[in-house]
Amino acid sequence: MAVTASQPGGIADHIHPEPQGFIRKYVFSIDHKIIGIQYIVTSFVFMVLGGLLAELIRIQLMNANGGFMTPDTYNEVYTIHGSTMVWLVIVPMVTGGFGNFVFPLQIGARDVAFPWLNMVSFWMFPPAGLLLYASFLVGAPVAGWTEYPPVSLQGGPGTSMWCAAIFLVGVGTTLTGINFLVTALKMRAPGMTFTRMPLFVWAQFATAPLVMIATTALAAALAALFMERQFGVPFYDPTKGGSPLLWQHMFWFYSHPAVYIMILPVFGIISEVFPTFARKPIFGYKMIAFSSISIALLGFMVWAHHMFTSGLAPFLQLPFMIMTMVIAIPTGIKVFSWLATLWGGKIQYTTAMLFAIAFIATFTLGGISGVFLAAIPFDLWAHGTYFIVAHIHYVLVGGSLTGIFAGMFYWYPKMTGRFMNETLGRWTFWLFVIGLNGTFVPMHWLGLMGMPRRVAEYDPQFQTINRVESLFSFVMTFAILLFFINALWSIRHGKRAGHNPWHARTLEWQIPSPPPYYNFKHIPTVLANPYAFDEPVPYAGLEDELTDSPVPIPAGAH
Amino acid sequence: MEHREPAVHLGRGFWSVTFALAIVAALSIYAWVVAPIAGWLPEAANKAQQIDALFRFLAASGTALFVFVVGYLLYFAIAFRRRANDPPDALGVQIHDNNALEFWWTLIPTVFLVILVVFSIKIWAGIELGPNTGLTVEAIGHQWYFTFRYPQINGEITNAMHLPVGQPVTLRLTSADVIHSFWVPGMRMKADMVPGLINTLHFTPKRVGRYQIICAEFCGTLHGEMDKQWFVVDPPVKYAAWYDAWQKKNSTASNALPVQSNARVAFGAGDAKIGKQLFSQKCTACHALGPFSQRIVGPGLLGVLHDPAHPNLVNGDKATRENVAEILQNGYKGDMGQMPNQTANALSNTDIANLVAYLNTLK
Ligand code: HEM
Ligand SMILES: [Cu+2]
Repeated sequence: MAVTASQPGGIADHIHPEPQGFIRKYVFSIDHKIIGIQYIVTSFVFMVLGGLLAELIRIQLMNANGGFMTPDTYNEVYTIHGSTMVWLVIVPMVTGGFGNFVFPLQIGARDVAFPWLNMVSFWMFPPAGLLLYASFLVGAPVAGWTEYPPVSLQGGPGTSMWCAAIFLVGVGTTLTGINFLVTALKMRAPGMTFTRMPLFVWAQFATAPLVMIATTALAAALAALFMERQFGVPFYDPTKGGSPLLWQHMFWFYSHPAVYIMILPVFGIISEVFPTFARKPIFGYKMIAFSSISIALLGFMVWAHHMFTSGLAPFLQLPFMIMTMVIAIPTGIKVFSWLATLWGGKIQYTTAMLFAIAFIATFTLGGISGVFLAAIPFDLWAHGTYFIVAHIHYVLVGGSLTGIFAGMFYWYPKMTGRFMNETLGRWTFWLFVIGLNGTFVPMHWLGLMGMPRRVAEYDPQFQTINRVESLFSFVMTFAILLFFINALWSIRHGKRAGHNPWHARTLEWQIPSPPPYYNFKHIPTVLANPYAFDEPVPYAGLEDELTDSPVPIPAGAH
Repeated sequence: MEHREPAVHLGRGFWSVTFALAIVAALSIYAWVVAPIAGWLPEAANKAQQIDALFRFLAASGTALFVFVVGYLLYFAIAFRRRANDPPDALGVQIHDNNALEFWWTLIPTVFLVILVVFSIKIWAGIELGPNTGLTVEAIGHQWYFTFRYPQINGEITNAMHLPVGQPVTLRLTSADVIHSFWVPGMRMKADMVPGLINTLHFTPKRVGRYQIICAEFCGTLHGEMDKQWFVVDPPVKYAAWYDAWQKKNSTASNALPVQSNARVAFGAGDAKIGKQLFSQKCTACHALGPFSQRIVGPGLLGVLHDPAHPNLVNGDKATRENVAEILQNGYKGDMGQMPNQTANALSNTDIANLVAYLNTLK
């Protein structure tokens, strides 16, 4: 039966017995840690599928006249590739995955605020993914992950399934956003003031409202597209009085914030990995936290930078250009602060740290090309070309995915109690970095010289460069394969890690690995910001955590 | 808890690396300043030259920034690694903040971005806000080709767009089906072709030559094949000859421009189906299929012949078939702007009969 203590732990003290049985424990679990791992595993499964599609794309592009697939099949393949990577891989991985596993532990909570809702959110995700892939059976969508009408109104029946699938994952992430926001506001351990929150918590806290607000706009846009396709309700078709630009506004009102949904949590990962392995405080804690919040706010004011060529009223274009440039300032502050964190460190070269360092370089490149694109006259040149493909892969692969690998190598011991293999990790790292840059650097050039994106065949002058890119992409794929082998192998055979192998200072590392069902036996009290390495770990009440006393104790009942 | 910040000495190594990076950055800026961009991709129009200047600025400063970030990253990563003789868990210098540093690395990028914004706006204004003067050419996107129309000529060209060098041009872009994007890499610029909207580009061709026109917005199965048409900049004499030939071909052909006439329109022969198609090609850029109040340029036309709330047309005449036909023939200029006449809209009296028949079906 539930025991509810009045003070001070609130919902955190709502203690039920641990569920027994495989289904309640591992399938329909309400434990944030299991749900986090479910998200991570599911996202990686979809990453395998999305990665296979990527290689089909690269095979097609090895010949200027295509020929490996028909143009229609090719269009289906890249559309599902993009939709998978955004909605079924990066977004769920960084919010539902790392967010669920790490962030409640870091604030000293026993779970998220609404564990049942959390389970419901997760269980919208696999069916949505299956629905998306089932669209191949009836003719998958073809108009890219952005699905601009009117051309998406012409797409096969799979396009409506795409709407439904994305709607469904969208509802799931919206609920996660609400859940995390309440958790961050209400469930922090006593003493964890805002300025004592770890930076990964700040990142999730800034992301949660983005998810909540932006995704609802996407849901509305998708519902309208679905109704127009299935029932002929004219939202977007100009011959019936609809407006095709309405979709673009609604889509980007979601999708620009969404790019920050995909990167802010990763900024949080980097801000944890850097201090731990440089053995020094994160530089400029307040500015990093503050810049996350300002990026989240500004992220809502820049969406039309995706529409500079679409015929936006001229004087609407300027504010969007200016606000986009403004976002580069907090982004720059973060990069400089991370660099300064390395200065004077005693850097330990784990695979996690290697990935985090590579992240700085590759993400910065993507940020710089982003500023290029914000300058409207340059965007008129680069929009709709391979330059955009280069930009998005630098920020999403060089940024988000690289950071996700850093986070995986970093928190894997917490999730499983074992290390991932470091030798294999180093191979993964070098092959990944080489493959990544070899694949995506030349795309900047291709785009500017005249290769549009989303084409099944192209001008023969670009064939050599495309072949080189394809070869490098095989290297990158091989690296990711090594990562999967490593992650699977290490569950059984990895070296045992103990509870805090990296000598990290945030709360999740002060309890056993993997953490027990209610995380903390006593809710700890937080005495200071975690990043002062020359001080003792700033928590009180953790004495019993590593011993074997059986039950968690409500916080009021000391 | 009060922390005392340790004193920071950057040291000789830091300054030598900074000096080396400054040299590399300066060299890469120089490389971009002299880079033969026009040799890689010819500059067909005056705007291409301006956009290239902006790109040079972006590429130079972006490369310099990248050199510094990656240079310091590698330097710190190597110089501050844990050495073999350090204790296993040796700590780094416990610095938390440095207000002066944070102030400067916020201010300097801000100043740089202000310069970038001003530079961008100057070029942007010429492209977006230019006067609609000079030669006006229309380009229309189709699945999967472009067509072009010239003033005073009714027919649509399907292979190449010809323009005279040195003369200002206004391009008006729209689409007959889905969204396309009109891109000439040699001009650097593109603008989307959106059904129901007209987008414009202003520029002056500067260099005689032949440049690829490419569709840059996904538009269906054969999007990748929409790169086989040409943007041809001719010397003025050659252009004039080309234009005359094209005009002559059209005036003898059956699609010569209709002459404005007040001849009675034969409403009985009107076919609403054909009218509907014509309407989506020629009218939806300015008229919605909504109530009178739903204005794009002109008023919404749903039920124009049957709307009790609007018994009269914009010119005050009663909403009858004859009066609608009269507006289609002669055009009308009112508060909302100019409705083009029959010649400008390339409508024969048969077309008008079809359109009226279609409008009559809207209730
Ligand atoms: C300083 C930061 C950034 C700036 C100034 C910036 C700017 C831009 C601009 C102006 C575009 C539109 C280009 C066009 O379509 O013509 C764009 C596209 C895009 N950006 Fe960024 N960006 C930045 C960072 C990011 C980050 C962090 C992400 C994701 C993690 C991201 C993801 C994307 C994506 C996915 C697109 C392309 C969407 C599409 O058309 O498919 N960007 N960016
Ligand atoms: Cu954006």
